[in-house]
Amino acid sequence: MGNSFWKDTWLITNRNIKTTLRNPFSVIPNLIISAFFLLVYEGGLSGISQLPTFEGANYLAFILPVSIVSAAIGGAGGAGQSIVKDIENGFFSRLLLTPASRLAIVLGPIIAGMLQLFVQTLLIIGIGFLLGLEVETGFGGILFVLLIAIGWGLAFAGYSVGVALRTKNAQASQAGTFIFFPLIFLSTTFVPYELIDAQWLKVAATINPTTYIFESMRTVLIDGWIFWDMMQGVIAIVIVCAITITFAAVSAKNAVARG
Amino acid sequence: MTLMPNILGVKNMNGKIEVEHLSKTFKKGNVQAVKDVSFTVDEGEFFAFLGPNGAGKSTTVQILTTLLNATGGKATVAGHDVIREPEKVRKYIGVALQETGVDPDLTGREMIELQASIFGFDKSSAQARANELLNIVQLEEAAERRIGNYSGGMRRRLDLALTLVNEPKILFLDEPTTGLDPSNRMAIWKELQRLNEELGTTIFLTTQYLEEADSLAHRISIINDGEIVATGTPKELKAQIGNDLITFTFPSKDIQSQAATIMESYMGEKEVIEQNGKLLVYVDDGTKQMLELVRLLDQEQVEVETVNLSSPTLDDIFLKITAKEVGGVGHGE
Repeated sequence: MGNSFWKDTWLITNRNIKTTLRNPFSVIPNLIISAFFLLVYEGGLSGISQLPTFEGANYLAFILPVSIVSAAIGGAGGAGQSIVKDIENGFFSRLLLTPASRLAIVLGPIIAGMLQLFVQTLLIIGIGFLLGLEVETGFGGILFVLLIAIGWGLAFAGYSVGVALRTKNAQASQAGTFIFFPLIFLSTTFVPYELIDAQWLKVAATINPTTYIFESMRTVLIDGWIFWDMMQGVIAIVIVCAITITFAAVSAKNAVARG
Repeated sequence: MTLMPNILGVKNMNGKIEVEHLSKTFKKGNVQAVKDVSFTVDEGEFFAFLGPNGAGKSTTVQILTTLLNATGGKATVAGHDVIREPEKVRKYIGVALQETGVDPDLTGREMIELQASIFGFDKSSAQARANELLNIVQLEEAAERRIGNYSGGMRRRLDLALTLVNEPKILFLDEPTTGLDPSNRMAIWKELQRLNEELGTTIFLTTQYLEEADSLAHRISIINDGEIVATGTPKELKAQIGNDLITFTFPSKDIQSQAATIMESYMGEKEVIEQNGKLLVYVDDGTKQMLELVRLLDQEQVEVETVNLSSPTLDDIFLKITAKEVGGVGHGE
């Protein structure tokens, strides 16, 4: 009796996908907000791309990474929320009482969250194309943007799952997702770094790893294949993932361990 | 019919629970929830842990079902050490915790099939097992509905079905009927009795309800403040405190305390218990002693309001034993 690790992971992931699809309102608001960012900022702010600092870049391509990161973070946050829900309704304990692999129990929601992120990101990019998006590096550039979105989503999933397993409480986890706002907006969200006026915001944007995510996506969307400009996002992902996934793993170990 | 994959042929497996000097101290607040608890439950036995809230019942269940580590002692469940071989223990037990463990977004059928798949059933045997269990807990009509729409009683019954998926040798049930209406409670009682009698499933049940332990269990341990204070069959426990219970009421509090003094000087101080405005006396020969006490009170011109002779219930035993243990005063948690 008992399954392989892969079978357990598949069973639990599958169930998470099913419950996500049955709760469309856990997905739709974030998707709408992300699409809203794209439409509103493009509609309202695209005039500023006339400024010389933009070097003639299309504002749609400039703002698209904001919308993508918003969708990615929202999708990845779903992993943590689903774990909190399971803990609160006793299903998590029910799983711990079965012979299922402990790793599979935690990995299932993360994989499902990453799939959700992937689909949301694709939809946002699709909307971008509908609005007339042109990508300097073509199809390969889109793949790179997707990869960065998934990597950054994974970093955020680690954070949200860690908070979920540590607090075991929906309100606390919900509060934890407020980091979304500083992450997205204390950055080169609307204008390039050179155009940021307030000194404090410049400092914040320099510290905020999301800035490097935005910049590496913008590199392939607007400028072309410029290796080191692309790498800044990859490096940010590696560093932040190392921190948040360790945090998630330690929290998971405590949550499935017998205190 | 058995739908289980061939797993029950494993050696060293039995339906026994053996607990030796088990203890658990929570680091937080340094609470000693379980103190040096030892007991054995035989294969096929229906055993109840009876105690008030916070007595250590749930903590014991969580240790025995591999959810918590003990801080001392040893426990073997189905032939395997719960600390060293939790994976093996999990295969042979079914557990219903105080809180049901179901996913409100799945249907009842999906929930059982998922549980069966996790226990290693292939698709068709998982489906067959779900049909069988939905029938047993009478949820066939609700099977395709989402669990979020189930009533409390239906969730409980589904939760019970989930604990049975792997045909467990031992069932752990932590207050399975708390918060249920009488008809759901009776349905669960009947099913537990059937499992115990027909399939020989060992059952470890915790409860705050004395009548539940009394009518279901072969043997009962009374646990209070982390310690087992008495163990025996319901009959033995009743005999332990006397065959008969005499209950007096008096017109006023003053008269009652006057009567208590008189009765104590006659019976011995420990034998007279004040509770809920009544005086209780446990004796072996009820009729004779009752007449004796009434005559005595009459001599002293103490007015008796009512006097009543009955057999002690587990309720009475429980109150007497725990009152003795904690000096009749609430003891924190």
